Amino acid sequence: MKKFDLELAVGFFLLIGIICLGYISIKLGKLEVIGGEYYTLYADFAKAGGIKPGSGVEIAGVEVGRVKSIRLDKDYAALVGLEINSDVKIQEDAIASIKTKGLIGERYVEITPGGSDKILGNGGKIRDTESAIDIEELLSKYVFGKV
Amino acid sequence: MKKNIFTAFFLSLFCLSLSLFPSSALAGEPTNQVKQTVDAVLEVLRNKELKKPDKTEQRRAQIRKIVSERFDFGEMAKRSLAQNWKKRTPEEQKEFVALYTDLLENTYIRKIEKYQDEKIVYGEEKIEGNYASLKTSVITTKEVEIPIEYRLLREGNQWRAYDVVIEGVSLVNNYRNQFNSILRSGSYEDLVKRLKNKTLKEPT
Repeated sequence: MKKFDLELAVGFFLLIGIICLGYISIKLGKLEVIGGEYYTLYADFAKAGGIKPGSGVEIAGVEVGRVKSIRLDKDYAALVGLEINSDVKIQEDAIASIKTKGLIGERYVEITPGGSDKILGNGGKIRDTESAIDIEELLSKYVFGKV
Repeated sequence: MKKNIFTAFFLSLFCLSLSLFPSSALAGEPTNQVKQTVDAVLEVLRNKELKKPDKTEQRRAQIRKIVSERFDFGEMAKRSLAQNWKKRTPEEQKEFVALYTDLLENTYIRKIEKYQDEKIVYGEEKIEGNYASLKTSVITTKEVEIPIEYRLLREGNQWRAYDVVIEGVSLVNNYRNQFNSILRSGSYEDLVKRLKNKTLKEPT
């Protein structure tokens, strides 16, 4: 009888451990289990340097979604898929820019809302984009350019 | 029978219109139109007669006229104000467009006047419905290449620029952020006052 109780307790704690592990991995990995309320927008960038799936999408510094996918377009531009919270409306003339947190921080996508009446729906495309600014390239251009 | 005649009539009209405006159906139209404008401005800049100091005003007026045909300052102003555009009355919008146009002209005309035989290279053009983007670059005399991308919007058969992206930085986004922060900390009147001061301060 006593032996049976001990085994039950071990099994119980193991179960709690597994549940905790699962919770932590979902939380840390920022996985969507139930799917969440999102819609997808696309944006073409000439250069998507530093952006990865999972990078944040912000408006005025507030995270409103994340980068879902990045792939190469047919004309060698980067087509970035953005998952946006369904309660955030993005206008047709919004501008998406790739920004850096601080001088050498991580890259994220910043959206500046526009003033148009047209709201982008699921699968819509943000036409105006600003690509990642390559500080190295700028430096070499303006430092070494002056001969 | 009657229907056939009508069909034939419209078909011939359609063919005629195609032959009259062959360029409007061809790709490359945005490039052509931007190139025309740039060439016209360069011609004014190269004109030795207009380079004399007492002709400065005349030269600027000419450049302004050419540029305003290709650049849609109204659309630029609207996009720069973004969320705040709709909150303004039509009169205020009109006044704002005028101020914004002055601001851009005063800021950039002096830069344009410094032109010294820089080369302009036209690159890839992309058309999507009524929108187009055109990549160009200016190669300075020091062989530094500055990428400039025009974002264009079709109006009839004219393509007009609503944004210019220089070295990856969008002009509209730059002003949108600035106006936004001014309007967040102050009133619309403050912004107008600032724009007025800015355009008055710089002698034209």
